[in-house]
Amino acid sequence: MVLYDSATSGGSNSGSSSSCSGTKQPVAEIDGLLAGAGYKVRSSELRQVAQRLERLETVMVNSPADISQLASDTVHYNPSDLASWVDSLLSEFNQPPLPLPSDLPDLPDIIAGPSVNHTAVGNYLTDNFTTTQQQQQQQQQMMIVTAMEEDSGIRLVHMLMTCAESVQRGEMAVAGSLIEDMKGLLTRVNPSCGIGKVAGCFIDALSFRIMGVGGSICGSVSENEILYHHFYEACPYLKFAHFTANQAILEAFDGHDCVHVVDFNLMHGLQWPALIQALALRPGGPPLLRLTGIGPPSPDGRDSLREIGLRLAELARSVNIRFTFRGVAASRLEDVKPWMLQVSPKEALAVNSILQLHKLLGSDPARNSPMEMVLGWIRNLNPKIMTVVEQESNHNQPEFLDRFTTALYYYSTMFDSLEACPLQPEKALAEIYLQREICNVVCCEGSARVERHEPLAKWRNRLAGAGFRPLHLGSNAFRQASMLLTLFSAEGYSVEETEGCLTLGWHSRPLIAASAWHAVPDVMMSHQNSN
Amino acid sequence: MAGGNEVNLNESKRVVPLNTWVLISNFKLAYNLLRRPDGTFNRDLAEYLDRKVPPNTIPVDGVFSFDHVDRATGLLNRVFQAAPQNEVQWGIVELEKPLSTTEVVPVIIFFHGGSFTHSSANSAIYDTFCRRLVNICKAVVVSVNYRRSPEYRYPCAYDDGWAALKWVKSRTWLQSGKDSKVYVYLAGDSSGGNIAHHVAVRAAEAEVEILGNILLHPMFGGEKRTESETRLDGKYFVTIQDRNWYWRAFLPEGEDRDHPACNPFGPRGKSLEGLKFPKSLICVAGLDLIQDWQLAYVEGLRKAGQDVKLLFLKEATIGFYFLPNNDHFYCLMEEIKNFVNPSC
Repeated sequence: MVLYDSATSGGSNSGSSSSCSGTKQPVAEIDGLLAGAGYKVRSSELRQVAQRLERLETVMVNSPADISQLASDTVHYNPSDLASWVDSLLSEFNQPPLPLPSDLPDLPDIIAGPSVNHTAVGNYLTDNFTTTQQQQQQQQQMMIVTAMEEDSGIRLVHMLMTCAESVQRGEMAVAGSLIEDMKGLLTRVNPSCGIGKVAGCFIDALSFRIMGVGGSICGSVSENEILYHHFYEACPYLKFAHFTANQAILEAFDGHDCVHVVDFNLMHGLQWPALIQALALRPGGPPLLRLTGIGPPSPDGRDSLREIGLRLAELARSVNIRFTFRGVAASRLEDVKPWMLQVSPKEALAVNSILQLHKLLGSDPARNSPMEMVLGWIRNLNPKIMTVVEQESNHNQPEFLDRFTTALYYYSTMFDSLEACPLQPEKALAEIYLQREICNVVCCEGSARVERHEPLAKWRNRLAGAGFRPLHLGSNAFRQASMLLTLFSAEGYSVEETEGCLTLGWHSRPLIAASAWHAVPDVMMSHQNSN
Repeated sequence: MAGGNEVNLNESKRVVPLNTWVLISNFKLAYNLLRRPDGTFNRDLAEYLDRKVPPNTIPVDGVFSFDHVDRATGLLNRVFQAAPQNEVQWGIVELEKPLSTTEVVPVIIFFHGGSFTHSSANSAIYDTFCRRLVNICKAVVVSVNYRRSPEYRYPCAYDDGWAALKWVKSRTWLQSGKDSKVYVYLAGDSSGGNIAHHVAVRAAEAEVEILGNILLHPMFGGEKRTESETRLDGKYFVTIQDRNWYWRAFLPEGEDRDHPACNPFGPRGKSLEGLKFPKSLICVAGLDLIQDWQLAYVEGLRKAGQDVKLLFLKEATIGFYFLPNNDHFYCLMEEIKNFVNPSC
């Protein structure tokens, strides 16, 4: 007799257990088989969920309106939580959409979701999109292998792993000779094929590590800004990050007259023109907007933060938004102290972190964890929303070989997606931007290694433990993201919804994850900690 | 909808386990929201609602997976394999050596269901199903992410199936056995079963060897109304109306359901007599409203002198194989295992 059933299944969320008989079932038990299908339903609630499904069907059948139209106007959230999804639909069908006031500009219908926290303020991005703006078991390693038809490509990958293993073992002579072999092999691989380019980066990174020169790869502040900007233009990852965060921030600011955005990495302020324009157009009039931009100090005496602030202020003035900007210069996020941000208790605060939080993970065990400290003061500021975007991969594993392997697959996929970019020099500079990241992951250690990417599952745990609760990103944000991707000529990018967060990836491999959070009120914190 | 709804709902609840009922009802209602009366489809919302899972090269429950994307076409195949015995090899995808030089390891090309419109190779339900197939059949499974309707109508799905077959046949690392060849079976549920049939026909005509076809309540139909359609309309998750919608979305515009894609042995179909067609295992669910078409398909294969085994599961509804919580599931898996066992 063969045992066929496995209650957990590969690739889906772990933490569920079997619904087979014989095991004790505490109340909070999730049905293991439904979990394998991607749905979280408590076994004890199955009957109620079934009843609600029946009711929903009856309502849908009796609904006079075209239900598919109603469905697309509704904003859906977190479909994995079947019970709440069914309930939100039941509310939708029992209430017709609000009529639109006739003096509104062209915005799509606004529907007040009765049981959810936000109102859908429409797809602001696609309406405001101007021509100037072109463009899965915690131990499981999620990897994608893209087409590797060439034999030399396959051999390169095997050699890279062997070399990394020698490095981990300290066998530097072996590693060194492998590097020579690989450089030879590289000449026979098609450099325009994804694996050729990325293999070159990893070979260089390994050789820098062996020579001990990893630290010198870091570029100057202005170089990094230029590379970042070209990475922004060459592929949709950062654009996705920006407008997904903006959509969530816009919704969180709804109904507030004084709002304050704290940006953990201003760069050229690329994210903010769209939000400024959306706030200008929001029904009920724009709020007073404060923007605090954090960035590294400029070495040449220029106050680049202020320059960017001035440009944004001009834009705000042109659309009649009262706007003030403040720059905070800090070389590391942990050097920022909350008093520098001058947050007023009367304003709605949004904290925006695009690819920054992971830098706090390189802690000296003797000191207090910078992550705890920073998350602590963010929470104490009680932001309406904290938007977090991070690379969806684990490049912070303790063992070098594991880190190396994961990074190899991750950046192979990244480079593969870049192949589709027709813009030069954007593409070439984007590749250098990624190359620098790879170098940091592979060559550096200790406090120098700042690119300590971790996947969404880990961030969920960490942020929940620090007193944050998720604010789910909904189907409207998803739809915007999909629409943005169709504006790109490259097919192959895919957006996915996973438990209230959105990921953008290349084919079926998520590469970047966006999520939103707010602080759990103190009264509930103490209850939560006793779980 | 004809008949008292309460009656319909209670009936289906009586014959499937509760979690299966919740799963399939959820799909049914969500899909109702996605299909528009004008024949268009809310693809964005569909992709948002679909639960997907990434591949994993570190094995889970003895199976690992990885995705291959054809650069020229963007066609994605997800490959599922049994984990290597040696843990040291975990995480490295072996693309240079064959699966085995001594034993035969079957490769099952799987076409997921979804009435040509829904789901993907990386949908959680199908990813899970393919993993189970790997363990049960000791096979490699290649799940094809074919293009779906209404954006891509006939014959796109069949063309993608054919491309996947050619890709699989030409992989040296999918070869096995003493004579180093790729041992291929085709399998699919619902529309996937339909695709498997048509790919098998093309393969037979091109003399590409397929060792067997496994069709799980394959999606066939025709213009006339059959007895089972009338009797079971709306009773067990599926309605005639939705079947009509999906055929209209898949078939070329203006065509009717007697098109040979939908009705291969109907008035416009052709006989497979004399063709070296693979042996078939056809599983029919006794509570599936299109079973008369499936039984006609079986009859059509028999009349053409082809080797076909019918597994008729009287009390089974569509989708019974998504969750391993019922006898039909185990019965089916046993049949598939025996069908694919090379020593048979």
